[in-house]
Amino acid sequence: MTPAVPITCTKADLTPEFRDQYLATYRQMQSSRVLEEKLGSLYRAGGRIVGGVYLGRGQEAFSAAVAMQLRRGQDVYAPLIRDQAGRMAFGEPITDALRTYLGAATGPMRGRDGNIHRGRPQEGELAMISHLGAMVSVVAGALFAKRLRGTMADAVGATSIGDGATSTGSFHEAINMAAVERLPLIISVANNQFAYSTSNDRQFACQDLMDRARGYGVAGWKVDATDLAACLKVARSAVAAARAGGGPQLIVGTLLRLGGHGEHDDASYIPDEVKFSKVGQDCLLVAEKLMIAEGWSTQEEINGWLKEARATVDQAVSLVSKEPIPDPYRESWQALSSSELVESWQL
Amino acid sequence: MPTIPILMPQLGESIAEATVVRILIEPGQRVEPGADIFEVETNKATMAVAAPCGGVVDQMIAKANESYAVGAALGSLQVSDEDAQALGFQDDPKAPVNTSQPANTDSVHFQFSDEDAIHDIQPKVEPIVGGLPVPAGATGASFISPRMRARMLELGINSSDLAGVAGTGAGGRVTVDDFETFLRTIEQHRMTPASPMRIAVADSMRRSWSRPLATVGSPVVLDAILAHRKKADPKPGPALYAIRALALALAENTAVAGRLIGSRIVHPRAIDIGFAVEVDDGVLVPVLREVDKTPLCTMVKTYNTLVEQARARRLPNDVNRPGIATVTNFGTFGIVWATPIPLPEQNLVLGLGAGMKTPHWSAEVNQFIPLTMAELTLSFDHRILDGGGAGRLLSRVAELLQTPEKL
Amino acid sequence: MSVTYLEAIREAQFEALRSDPNVFVYGQDIGQFGGAFKATKGLAREFPGRVLDAPISEDAMVGMAVGAAIEGARPIVEMQFADFSSVGFNQIVNQAATLYWRTNTPCPITIRLPSGGTAGSGPFHSQSMESIYAHYPGLVILTPATVEDAYWMLLDSVKLDDPVIFCEHKFLYYHLKAESFGERSLPIGKARIARPGRHATIVAYSAMVHEALRAADELQMEGYQIEVVDLRSVKPMDTDTILGSVARTGRLLVVGESFPWGGVTAEVIARVSTEAFHMLDAPPMRLNSKDTPIPYHPNLWKAHRPTVGSICDALRRLLRF
Repeated sequence: MTPAVPITCTKADLTPEFRDQYLATYRQMQSSRVLEEKLGSLYRAGGRIVGGVYLGRGQEAFSAAVAMQLRRGQDVYAPLIRDQAGRMAFGEPITDALRTYLGAATGPMRGRDGNIHRGRPQEGELAMISHLGAMVSVVAGALFAKRLRGTMADAVGATSIGDGATSTGSFHEAINMAAVERLPLIISVANNQFAYSTSNDRQFACQDLMDRARGYGVAGWKVDATDLAACLKVARSAVAAARAGGGPQLIVGTLLRLGGHGEHDDASYIPDEVKFSKVGQDCLLVAEKLMIAEGWSTQEEINGWLKEARATVDQAVSLVSKEPIPDPYRESWQALSSSELVESWQL
Repeated sequence: MPTIPILMPQLGESIAEATVVRILIEPGQRVEPGADIFEVETNKATMAVAAPCGGVVDQMIAKANESYAVGAALGSLQVSDEDAQALGFQDDPKAPVNTSQPANTDSVHFQFSDEDAIHDIQPKVEPIVGGLPVPAGATGASFISPRMRARMLELGINSSDLAGVAGTGAGGRVTVDDFETFLRTIEQHRMTPASPMRIAVADSMRRSWSRPLATVGSPVVLDAILAHRKKADPKPGPALYAIRALALALAENTAVAGRLIGSRIVHPRAIDIGFAVEVDDGVLVPVLREVDKTPLCTMVKTYNTLVEQARARRLPNDVNRPGIATVTNFGTFGIVWATPIPLPEQNLVLGLGAGMKTPHWSAEVNQFIPLTMAELTLSFDHRILDGGGAGRLLSRVAELLQTPEKL
Repeated sequence: MSVTYLEAIREAQFEALRSDPNVFVYGQDIGQFGGAFKATKGLAREFPGRVLDAPISEDAMVGMAVGAAIEGARPIVEMQFADFSSVGFNQIVNQAATLYWRTNTPCPITIRLPSGGTAGSGPFHSQSMESIYAHYPGLVILTPATVEDAYWMLLDSVKLDDPVIFCEHKFLYYHLKAESFGERSLPIGKARIARPGRHATIVAYSAMVHEALRAADELQMEGYQIEVVDLRSVKPMDTDTILGSVARTGRLLVVGESFPWGGVTAEVIARVSTEAFHMLDAPPMRLNSKDTPIPYHPNLWKAHRPTVGSICDALRRLLRF
């Protein structure tokens, strides 16, 4: 088990290797923010985005920190709603996000699912279903199979979930099962204070979400998720513990969702005192401050990266905008992979 | 003689089955009503089972020392029709009563353990007709199932052709099996093709007959017409006089030639009258237009032309403007009286029978005088017209025919 | 030497585990205990680490199976009773059934549901869930009625790359015996003519096939030859065989044990009414359980479901139409 106090970083932690990962993670966070701002603006323009838009503004540090520890091709990752930064860190191309949001037939879901319900399961990046909590057992199962087939080595599985989803039966069953099977499963709980409009006091009665770790018999970690350095430290420790056979790791990060549940939601229910408190800090700004203070980067350099990120996103938007949308007459309309079992009967 | 099954009776409230201890009969044996035929043993007692009625034992199924459920068939009995009816067995069973071996011995039958056996099965013989789910609108014998309809369509048969087919289905309807049996039977007869004319007339008459039709007859004196005709040039056909008289009579009251649609009578707009012309294997009905407005002498040529065209099967195609009544002069065949059937779209058909010189009592000269008499018959749709009205119409026609110069 | 339906299921799992190291079985009490119905007796010892006890977490059991399938395993999930699968319903219909369609990744899982009623099992140990699952696209629903099908269709299910809901009938477990498994007779998706006939067709599946066969025996004594069609798989449904049978007989009765509203019997009749309307000489009929939860007391239970008696009554009405 681990200490109940939140993990923080000291100067000693800021080694050159740490710095390198910090800067790499920051860049993923910045790119994610730029992409999401573009998605938000396309949504507000109307007529471009198919369906709703769900952004992870304010959660980039927490999301990317864990994903940076994962090895694509070996580890399993199930990003959730606010994990754009994590997806980028795990290697998801930004065209996947744009194609799925803009409804291009060339995206990984081919129009059959949209927005954040996307992934490439065969590459270890699972595509979430809308029922919160449901993905945790799937990651557990993937790890179970690796062990059964002898391909586990020191692989881990990671999934994110919000404060709200910890109330689901699916979450409970999954974390319990992962604990019984002692699987190397990292569950990052981003407690962003609100599940849509529901605040914590209506979501759970335990004093601290991390208390649940003890209840399930798993390791628990706590962190101020607006602080990238702390996030990276926790992520490295937890993932290392899992790789070393420490079983499931529950990481609870405290932050604030810096936007609505979706872009359609103005989040007017978030009180000002929460918005302007420490938990409402923007993790990008916190990181930039540290980077400049430590002399790891300059404002010009950061601005330069921002400009690059914007250009990349704009180029991708322009590319994807020209791509075809799904054609119902070209669809196979087949829900089984075994073609011989698809009924020719016209239902 | 019908054969009925002998069933294991209900032997007691909680008895589900019994063992046959002794069989007291054998096939071919005659039994009296109420005679003991089996001895059976239950968990309560040994008791005898009596014959349900008198008869001759047909088959024995039950074996000694075997158990059978209540309601199981133990054998069969040849009985009288009345007995079979009285016991609720309406028909002969379609096949002799078999032993209870499954036909398909490849299928796997699993054995229930005792507590799983469902003991409340009573194979009942159900009455054939009562309480069956005949769909709304099926009205018994006239219900034709989709399969029947498809088969009939395939063979070009319509429902009136089935009138002579005995149906064994619910409400007496003809089932596909009945139909196929019927078809096989008629195959054994000599058959000749029916001409399209025959089929067309058949269809027309069938549709017309769906109404309640009646006929009234009235005598008419033809002498005036015959005299007029002798002097006329060109000579109008006898039917033409009747056509013109009918038209004038109808012009006085168009309602009788109207169509009853729902609760309204739709009056005709023009007094167009058709007349029957016999052609090969059928009848055609050319139509004269606005006969009430057209004097007789001016119609002769048109009439003759139409007759020629009819015989040559070259009538103008005015199927959208049918006549409102028809005249048929079957007197030319020597028929004195007939009940013609109006065309499906008309209510009235006036028939003119053969004229005959008959003695007629004259009150004026106090003796029998010779008159040429014929019967005028009017067949009509009884929904529009009653006997009185029909009779009055006929009288008016007969009256008009006495002054042919005014026609 | 005879083998029961249950033994067929066990043998099929044995063979699946033996021939493919990616197969594993997951369910409650299936390990050392051998399962509530002994469907996995001895397998945990034979294949250590591959026949595992799950916690009482049907949602996680199915989610876990999906994840394992993505990683290349071929899991068999045993639900202790079909009735409990409703706790895992979301994972079955929204996770497993949509995976291939959404992501082009096949989902080769098999979920075994001990289904159907036995006297005294009550509302939550008796359900037949095939109608509910068949409603969702992306699932294969199988309902073996014979010992041979229980064996071969389970083997085929495990080899199939799609999620299979394998509805085994609890009554048939011990009561249905056969000499052997025989050869694999028909592929998944084909129905079997269990008994040829000409006067009427009964379409049935699972335990109702046997009730239908007994009803056909009884009607034979009245001179009728009743054809019995065993669906074998509810989805995909072998519509062609059903239509062919109706073309021969012109009369249809569909019998199912599940609840009457919608479901398998309604689906058969909908298809026949559309595609073979002109083949019907009588309105198609169906027989299901009553529209109430399944009663506990045997007297009520026997009246709740179709029986040989009620099937015969329905047939007589159908035949005399």
